[in-house]
Amino acid sequence: MAVKVSLSLKLTLIVVLISIIIVASLSYINVYWQNENEKEIYDKTIGWSVANFAESHAALETLDDNLSSYENLSEILANTDTLYISLVNLTVEYSDILQININTPVDNNLTTIISTNNNSLGSLSNPEYNNDSYENGNTWYRINGSILTIVSPINTHEGIVGTYEIIISMFPKGISYVAQIQFIIITSFISFLILIVALLFLLRKAIVKPIINFRNTAKIFGKGDLDARVDIDSKDELGDLAVAFNEMAKDLKESRDKIQDYNQILENLLQQKDEFIGQLGHDLKNPLQPLVGLLPVVIEEEKDPKIKETLTVMNQNVEYMQDLIFKTLQLAKLRSSNIKFDFENIQLKKEVNHALATEQLSLKERKIAIENRIDEGIIVNADKLRLAEVFKNLITNAVKYTPESGGKITIDAVKEDDFVKVSVQDTGIGMTEDQIKKVFDEFYKADVSTDEYQSTGLGLAICKRIIDKHGGKIWVESPGPGKGSTFYFTLKFGDEK
Amino acid sequence: MTKKVMVVDDDPGVIYTVKRGMEGLDKEYEITTVSSGQECIELLENNQIPDLILLDIMMPDVSGWEVYKKIKENDQWKNIPIVFLTARTDRIAKEAGGFLGDDYIEKPFKVPELKERIEKILKK
Repeated sequence: MAVKVSLSLKLTLIVVLISIIIVASLSYINVYWQNENEKEIYDKTIGWSVANFAESHAALETLDDNLSSYENLSEILANTDTLYISLVNLTVEYSDILQININTPVDNNLTTIISTNNNSLGSLSNPEYNNDSYENGNTWYRINGSILTIVSPINTHEGIVGTYEIIISMFPKGISYVAQIQFIIITSFISFLILIVALLFLLRKAIVKPIINFRNTAKIFGKGDLDARVDIDSKDELGDLAVAFNEMAKDLKESRDKIQDYNQILENLLQQKDEFIGQLGHDLKNPLQPLVGLLPVVIEEEKDPKIKETLTVMNQNVEYMQDLIFKTLQLAKLRSSNIKFDFENIQLKKEVNHALATEQLSLKERKIAIENRIDEGIIVNADKLRLAEVFKNLITNAVKYTPESGGKITIDAVKEDDFVKVSVQDTGIGMTEDQIKKVFDEFYKADVSTDEYQSTGLGLAICKRIIDKHGGKIWVESPGPGKGSTFYFTLKFGDEK
Repeated sequence: MTKKVMVVDDDPGVIYTVKRGMEGLDKEYEITTVSSGQECIELLENNQIPDLILLDIMMPDVSGWEVYKKIKENDQWKNIPIVFLTARTDRIAKEAGGFLGDDYIEKPFKVPELKERIEKILKK
């Protein structure tokens, strides 16, 4: 069985993908905006301080008087994560002063490393700082990512006494990378959820619900309620589809109503025809009574062999006519819609024996062996009188088409899956493939060319109708002309109580 | 001993068939014929009691069922065997239920067959 992927699931997947894309974009914008914001903050606060610090520092003659410079530095130190401060080529005297001044306001809060290095004075002209650092008086500072590096000479009244180097993280103090990433993840996740819910809600309303509406309407429509209509009034393609569907439904309903009307007319005509045939058959029987009733008597009484022969032929034809009327009447009845069948549980073997008893005379005359092999335990659910009619017709047929000497008729029944298969087999003249196809048609006669087998061509059509009404099947098999035929039909099991 | 059989049928063809056929086959039968249920009852009331009645079911004035009922309700007549003559073919036994006569025969019938049935019933 193919895996059914619902539209909802597909749409959900699409929504999830779209949401991921949107949220990723938003996160990128968020990060970008955050960076911009950081820069702005830096420019407004730290940047200003750094610039001021550098400027004022450079302008002042002595370190002692450089109070504003210290304040600026302190501000930087207070607002940023100062990673590293080093003092280069500083005399111990100045180093002490600077150390005290820097440490005083910030000592406890910052990881500040101050080191002294008295080795050289040359770092100012270090080309490393010239490359992509910004010149501001005598001070160089460089921004590399979020890291700010300031290198500045220390001017005193004695001239440049050394250089200091400060490396500062540009993130405002208290906002760490981790916190920022967490913030981004959480906001992304929330917006992701909101997006999914909103999109799903919209898609459900716009696509899935109308489609479910279509499906349900189509189901109801298919079950025969042609008044079912799709209830969608949106102005989109689905709305157009709904209008088209409803128009189709309307047309179908009109067509069906028309067909039903015609059908009713036809049924009435058929009913009238059946009634007519029934009445006709009935009326044909009465005038036949003296012929049917008295011909055997008159034949018996008649002494003149010529007249006797004539009367015998007449009697045969009268019998044939009677048979024809009886069967036509029966077919008309079987065709009419108000025919009733009385189903009951029947012991099949007994029923066949009963049918055989009525045919006993002709069997004796014809010297045909007949065997009822049906198991006594087989019980079928059938209309007794109609089933008797089927056996009568099949046995009469078998007798009619089986030669007198050495002929044999075998009646049997086997239990199959959920039904009983009955067979009536003869060793008679057999059938061609064409005959097998047509033998159950009304008025079909196997052998039109000779009068040897006088037949109404209705017996098997009656059998078929009766078996149809029992919910069974009837068919014939024959290996070919001269090789006998076997008629089969199926019946339902009876309750074996 | 001559056996009296009364035929009740509105169809002259049936009446002639029975009368001609039965008397032609066997002189022992004496056939009385009436063409309606009313006449049948009148004859019975006149004490013309037959040994057996052949009764048509579909008659215009009084139906065969009604005649049957009247006969069976009368203590004097109830032992007369009744054989229905019917034009209906297959459902007769079912439709009649327990109400059916001693036998029935479908029209059109052959006289030898009718005689056989009558003899069987009269033997009982």
